[in-house]
Amino acid sequence: MDDQSCPRCKTTKYRNPSLKLMVNVCGHTLCESCVEMLFVRGSGNCVQCDTPLRKSNFRVQLFEDPAVDKEVEIRKKVLKIYNKRETDFPNLRQYNDYLEQVEEIVFNLTNNIDVENTKRLMEHYQRENRDIIQRNKAKLTREQEELEELLMLEQKETEQRRLDTLQEEQRQLLAKKKKKQALLDELESSRLPAMLLLAQHKDRAAQLETQIEIQRQVVKPTIFSTGIPMGQTISLQPVVQMEEVLYRYQPLRINTYGPPVPEFEQLGRLGYLTHVRAASPQDMAGGYSSALACHRALQDAFSGVFPLQH
Amino acid sequence: MQKKRKNKQSVMYHNSSQKKFWTFSSEEHLEQLRYEANQRLRAKVLGSARDLTAFSESLFLDPLEEAVLFRHYERRLLDFCTNFKPVMPKSVVGTANMYFRRFYVNNSLMEYHPRIIMLTCAYLACKVDEFNVSSSQFVGNLQETSAGQEKALEQILEYELLLIQQLNFHLVVHNPYRPMEGFLIDLKTRYLTLENPEMLRKTADDFLNRAMLTDVGLLFSPSQIALTAVLNSASRAGINMESYLTECLGLKEDKETLSKMIDSMKRIKTLLKKYEPPNPEEVSTYKQKLERIHTEFIINTNSKRKRGYEDDDHVTKEHPVAEEE
Repeated sequence: MDDQSCPRCKTTKYRNPSLKLMVNVCGHTLCESCVEMLFVRGSGNCVQCDTPLRKSNFRVQLFEDPAVDKEVEIRKKVLKIYNKRETDFPNLRQYNDYLEQVEEIVFNLTNNIDVENTKRLMEHYQRENRDIIQRNKAKLTREQEELEELLMLEQKETEQRRLDTLQEEQRQLLAKKKKKQALLDELESSRLPAMLLLAQHKDRAAQLETQIEIQRQVVKPTIFSTGIPMGQTISLQPVVQMEEVLYRYQPLRINTYGPPVPEFEQLGRLGYLTHVRAASPQDMAGGYSSALACHRALQDAFSGVFPLQH
Repeated sequence: MQKKRKNKQSVMYHNSSQKKFWTFSSEEHLEQLRYEANQRLRAKVLGSARDLTAFSESLFLDPLEEAVLFRHYERRLLDFCTNFKPVMPKSVVGTANMYFRRFYVNNSLMEYHPRIIMLTCAYLACKVDEFNVSSSQFVGNLQETSAGQEKALEQILEYELLLIQQLNFHLVVHNPYRPMEGFLIDLKTRYLTLENPEMLRKTADDFLNRAMLTDVGLLFSPSQIALTAVLNSASRAGINMESYLTECLGLKEDKETLSKMIDSMKRIKTLLKKYEPPNPEEVSTYKQKLERIHTEFIINTNSKRKRGYEDDDHVTKEHPVAEEE
């Protein structure tokens, strides 16, 4: 969300969220109303950095950070001159070096480093590569035109479809009205009984509907909307079945370097628990039992009692 | 092959860090390590001193003298723990003692003064063994003015991380007290030739307390020490308990393990017999030497300790000036 306020009037941005910030070539922002006020004469100085600015150079801010907007503007200008493509270079390395150059220039101009030199570099490059620039410009315009044509086609098609459906609806409505009218007329003029007339009418209506359905189905689509032609077969080979060895659980075996400890569950039966302090009701409430302490003491006694085989 | 309760898997001795890293093969090995620590310190002091003529080799303590001082301070540690309020459980005392012992296997007393280290060991042992004492309660047990207690606390906190580091972060210590209880339970249940195992408890306890003052904790497993304690107190009461080993521990067939076990127990008993309480005169002489070394040569200022947390090999720029001999 916009967390910025106009550096000049400060409050107005919060009160009026629809108010836009405008950025200029120096990278500082001003809200629309302040721009109007300060640049009523068409040109003035920036509030924060005092560079001379023109009102026409103000663009609506697209990014949260005005520095980004500034860079975007500079980049557009630079790329108008440095418009070589990958095909203009004999190998990838040179293309990348060229791109690196371009980035350097954009960076320098954005951060006001070495502006003089950079501008001179740009002019130099422009003079050297004038014809290449022109050629690429022409190519660019051609490409753009092609894209635009495609877009136009698409739009036309959608329009057409919309109109068609509208027309269909209209026709149907009209047909219905006519039928109703016809029915009324017949009821008035004919001498057949009313029930018969109604039944006839219904039949005719049903026939018409089926006809329309058939008509609609005839217009079969030949391609999917993504451009893949229908009827293209996709191979569905069966998935290769892999045989794996079934996992078998092996219980953990640990060497305790001592004699085996009696099982926890057997302690009572074997008579160990009579020699341990019995658990009081308070202890047992928490889940403690005397067998736990007994088992722990026995484990500790037997663990590691056999000397290691040095 | 036993099925252990899953939640106890990690705290058993047989897969503990104590067994893997802090059980040494022989007393000679321990002596060697302590000798090397001593040498390292000498090299360090000689290397960083500005004025080499100011002192001689004789000002250093040699490993035997260090051992005497070690025993003295160990006793002080035990006294501190037994007089501790609230009452310190035995396992905490055992842990603190083990930390103290392990620390000075790889470090020299001349580098880190045992007075502070012993308090730090006790403090850390309380924390690790979940005997929760607040730091002010802890220093309240020291016989000093409250300013002295504050200073001691500061020092403890400074050295705590160093201690943990020198223990190689292996903080779980297995003491022989629970194994001894286990053996008594087993004796009462299965070894009915012995009528009243409970009478062995007091002498066995005494044995374990004496064992704490020796290196047995670094050489043998706690269950072996406990078993030795029980068998020893039985033999002192005139009862031969070898049949326990063969019958109940299942060693009737396994003669080799049986003989090794008897051998280990003999070694433990020998070590206990070899223990000599420290001689007070020797102690005061060596103490003087120790104090001198600490005030003169050892870079033991507060700033180094605090910086030591980030940069261990940092050598401070200040050297206390060596006094004229």
